[in-house]
Amino acid sequence: MKFQAMANVTSRWLKGDGPEAGIVFSCRVRLARNLEGFPFPLWAEESKLKGVSEKIIDAIEKSKYLKNAHIIDVAELSSTERRFLLERHLISVEFTKGGRYRFLATEKEEMLSLMINEEDHLRLQTIFSGLQLMETWRLIDRVDDELEEMLDYAFLPRYGYLTACPTNTGTGMRASCMLHLPALVAVRKINDILKGISQLGLVARGLYGEGTEAQGEFFQVSNQLTLGLKEEEIIDHVEKVTHQVVEQEKRAREALLKRNVIEIKNEVGRAYGILTGAHLISSQEALDLLSKLRLGIGLELLPGFNIQILNELFFLITPAQLQIREGRELTPLSRDQLRAKLIREKLSKVR
Amino acid sequence: MLCQVCKKREVNVHFKEIIGGEVRELHLCDVCAKEKGLGESFFPSFSLPELMLGLTKLEIPPSLGKGPQCSGCGISYEEIIKKGKLGCSLCYQNFTEYLDPLLEKIHGKVYHSGKVPKKGKKEDRLDRKVYELRKKLEEAVRKEEYEKAAEFRDELRELEKGGRK
Ligand SMILES: [Zn+2]
Ligand SMILES: [Zn+2]
Repeated sequence: MKFQAMANVTSRWLKGDGPEAGIVFSCRVRLARNLEGFPFPLWAEESKLKGVSEKIIDAIEKSKYLKNAHIIDVAELSSTERRFLLERHLISVEFTKGGRYRFLATEKEEMLSLMINEEDHLRLQTIFSGLQLMETWRLIDRVDDELEEMLDYAFLPRYGYLTACPTNTGTGMRASCMLHLPALVAVRKINDILKGISQLGLVARGLYGEGTEAQGEFFQVSNQLTLGLKEEEIIDHVEKVTHQVVEQEKRAREALLKRNVIEIKNEVGRAYGILTGAHLISSQEALDLLSKLRLGIGLELLPGFNIQILNELFFLITPAQLQIREGRELTPLSRDQLRAKLIREKLSKVR
Repeated sequence: MLCQVCKKREVNVHFKEIIGGEVRELHLCDVCAKEKGLGESFFPSFSLPELMLGLTKLEIPPSLGKGPQCSGCGISYEEIIKKGKLGCSLCYQNFTEYLDPLLEKIHGKVYHSGKVPKKGKKEDRLDRKVYELRKKLEEAVRKEEYEKAAEFRDELRELEKGGRK
């Protein structure tokens, strides 16, 4: 199995050292670009896809930012290996389906990567820890400038960057923030907040659970429009709205503490107890408990606890990450065992 | 409740998206959720917007019929609408009359005002100059270097007066 070395190294953006990292997990900017003179990947014959990939790989090799990037042929990967890259936000769901002449290029710290022949010829992305969207944009802007000197981008002054999907035309940019909002979920304000975000012209989305089992208290905020606005205007808007949501989450956390400290301490403490004591644990149970622990850190109920290890654990315990780490396919039972062991080890180092 | 995709298994994963006040929900079983990249990972995948937008139906203009084909890729506007994806960069020039209302519907606007590549035709290069000056100006204002900012502003005015339209 590939990527074993990679599985043991944490992506740079997972370090949890960015601004507001207790609430904002990560922020990302991606740019869609196409080469002049080639049909878009969906409609292109293999010979055209090959031509596109050769031009782009050539540019990568000359790039100051990407010359040391790891270039991966997606067609050669197993489904577990693709899933592994998907979970690390390096490839899209579309890309996990594979196909010839589809490549991923990623630099060592995984902050900067690009997909070749996804929906567009080029999908460039940068991910940073916490809420620092403008910095994230500045980096991708420079890399884009550099690549553009070597590649002929499809562009018209009227429409901007030409993309396969009309929802990306113009800047070709999607800027997003991933937020952890357990308190807004707990005080049942989350739906109002999501609606508010959407009324400000942004998109809010998330996975959520039923009843008590909080399946996902993670939400993504991103821009909807790509045409007619400057990149900095879009970035600024997403950043400002995210700041407002962060403030709301902080207020909800205070309200939660005031309402019932004992109940919350109880839940956080029990989560910690199970995570440090279990010898078999499913990924679902682990994720639910880790989310509680993360809230506990945010509420300062767990002094000295480092958020980075928790951030990492969210990623490390999925079946794909576990199997790549071990270098082989595992049965569900041995995954549950290995997961429990990993969590015990990581948490014992925290305090 | 049964899964919206396979309509066989029980629902276990709920996905919610809100755009422009409109709520869209997906209720899926574990198997189908995994298929869509929503499986055991805690995080909504970044590529979901495209997934959801792919479900949006685009309308075929009544005037079109079978429609003309793009000189670049040979694909007709009807096929483009069916897939929701354009064929090549020339489609943008060949189908302008249909694309303008579509883009306006999606974005509310049809003119790009963002970044411009450095190379390209003479007018594009001028746009790029304007783009770079504007950035320098914003940066100077941010750093409160007002003398510099004034210089950039004058230069920008000069450019916009002379070169364009
Ligand atoms: Zn299903
Ligand atoms: Zn075309």
